[in-house]
Amino acid sequence: MNRGRVTLLIATMGFVALLGGQADAHTGTGLPGGFASGFRHPFSGLDHLLAMVSVGLWGAFLGRPLIYLLPVIFPTVMAGGAVLAMIGLRLPPVEIGIALSVLVLGACIALAVKAPVWVASLIVATFALFHGYAHGMELPSAADPVGYSVGFVLATGLLHVLGIGIGTLNARPGGLVVTRSAGGLIAVTGAWFLYTAVVR
Amino acid sequence: MRGGVLPPALLFAALGLALAFAPARARAWGLVSLMVTLAALSFVPVSHGWLETAFLGCWVSVAVTAAAVHIPQGTRMAGALVLSVNAGIWASVVVALSGTRLDLVEAVPCALLVLPASWLVAKRASIAVKVASSWLIAIAMLAAVLPFLAVTPGYLPDHLE
Repeated sequence: MNRGRVTLLIATMGFVALLGGQADAHTGTGLPGGFASGFRHPFSGLDHLLAMVSVGLWGAFLGRPLIYLLPVIFPTVMAGGAVLAMIGLRLPPVEIGIALSVLVLGACIALAVKAPVWVASLIVATFALFHGYAHGMELPSAADPVGYSVGFVLATGLLHVLGIGIGTLNARPGGLVVTRSAGGLIAVTGAWFLYTAVVR
Repeated sequence: MRGGVLPPALLFAALGLALAFAPARARAWGLVSLMVTLAALSFVPVSHGWLETAFLGCWVSVAVTAAAVHIPQGTRMAGALVLSVNAGIWASVVVALSGTRLDLVEAVPCALLVLPASWLVAKRASIAVKVASSWLIAIAMLAAVLPFLAVTPGYLPDHLE
């Protein structure tokens, strides 16, 4: 990857980080809008944003077929989680599940865990359920639920692609250290989210 | 609000992705049969009692059509024709019940997604097409179940209105 592309990547990451708000995800509802509200939603909480990027980044670590399997599994199971929320089924505390997703996925990247296909798929699918559940609680109140769904699924997918993009650094000299360090930082942030979710 | 251009646009986008895995001849005939179906059905009156069925059919079609990208050998001629005619039928019915003909005209270009998608498939980057199709499946799942839930969708007046 040449210097220009690395600069572009860092600028994109910086831009995405600026979009992130407080640590608590899923504040507010999509009540007033459709696509724009839905698209903004995954960027409104750092925990969701980090988990989405981590899915792509871990997929890049694991290579084929998980590099594309994980971003395919996640939105599909996430939609299932949203449906569970809409029918009123109760899950274990969602914020703890989301915090755990950041912690575990970050740790998997930091430790370069080479999980078998079914284990990685199961981990990502379980966490997708929690993230979908959090979205699903807000979806029905959106004035344009279809537009809202398009927005948040697209934003989620683009965050996965961003994670895969960052994962391409692995092929560069020293890139592995950078991505594993990023995974470590994500895991530490996840531990903080977990602490706040449990204490609250 | 749930009608308008978005449901047919997503259905045509799913069709474009599915046709990308078909041979060039099947792709062309698929698009032709889509246009013929739309032209044939755009003036057929549809009873308003079909509204919920029309939306369900449209969203199920989006999911099934998008899932067709995972067929191991790709979509063949018969499959391409069935998917295209099916997309034309449900898009026409949904637009007849909750949109205008202009919505259909605006949605049709989404089928041209077949061009970049088939280029990606030819360049052995079909992963991108499969990931995009999973996004469409997720959206269709959410939109399909919403009317059957015990919540008040945002497009309907609730107890406060």
